[in-house]
Amino acid sequence: MSTTQFTGLITALTRQRGVLGCLVVSERDGIVVDADVRAGVDAAAVAALAAALYRRARLCSEAAGLSTVSFLQLESEHGQICAAGRDDLVAVVVAEAGAPVAQLRTVILQSVDSLV
Amino acid sequence: MKARVSEPWVEAPLQRFADEARVTFALLLQPSGQVLGQFGFTRAMDVMAACSLAAAINVTAAQLGRELDGTPFRELHHAGRERELFIAEANTARGPLVLLAAFGDESSLGLVRLYFRELCTALANAAPAVAPAPSAAGRVDLGENLERDLDHSLAILFGRARPDPEGMLSVPSSIPPA
Repeated sequence: MSTTQFTGLITALTRQRGVLGCLVVSERDGIVVDADVRAGVDAAAVAALAAALYRRARLCSEAAGLSTVSFLQLESEHGQICAAGRDDLVAVVVAEAGAPVAQLRTVILQSVDSLV
Repeated sequence: MKARVSEPWVEAPLQRFADEARVTFALLLQPSGQVLGQFGFTRAMDVMAACSLAAAINVTAAQLGRELDGTPFRELHHAGRERELFIAEANTARGPLVLLAAFGDESSLGLVRLYFRELCTALANAAPAVAPAPSAAGRVDLGENLERDLDHSLAILFGRARPDPEGMLSVPSSIPPA
């Protein structure tokens, strides 16, 4: 497997308990820049939809005068999606319902600085 | 906004694609340039021009892919300053169809690709299994009737003619001007 500038970030996030996959996504294009996801996770679909969601959340936050979005969490019946971005790149984590969110949040926010 | 079609079986898939992918314009055509459905256009002339260009771009890109890579390029994306363009082929029982979609800030390449995938599945499921039978007025043979078929598709799209009950193309005795 080849390494990229995002390998460290992706490895740090996929190592967390309950994480099913991690993607670095272009917010504007909604396409995968780099990813490591388990079988069964449709990386292209997650990237497109999560990028659109993050973009809308960012625009909503800015429109409300709340500045930019620092962390986005979507809870579903069987899991959760967490995202944080910088410039045009967004780190997206797909995790099981039981994954420790507080810990994930900390690691994602620490990792976001390397999204350049 | 509603998608307008010359063949009813493409309406639901095209409408869903346009709504979900939030594209500004969408065209579904045969590789020959004959339009099957459109979303977002208001003038027949624009549809005609876009179909001609899309068909030409599609065949050029396919040949370029064959020359460079030994296989046709699957899709083409152009990122303009304000609008982006996506062209790709969908395979159906009726043969390959070409989708041209233009989109802006409301959408993204990822979303368009995602919903194009769904469009391909929906078209493959909805396509009539058999090729259109020859009609009394004329055969559906693009080699012989291409120009009349192009005009007729446009006429149906803009409400100047009706499609066959089976949803297949037929050539009327008099064709309204595009």
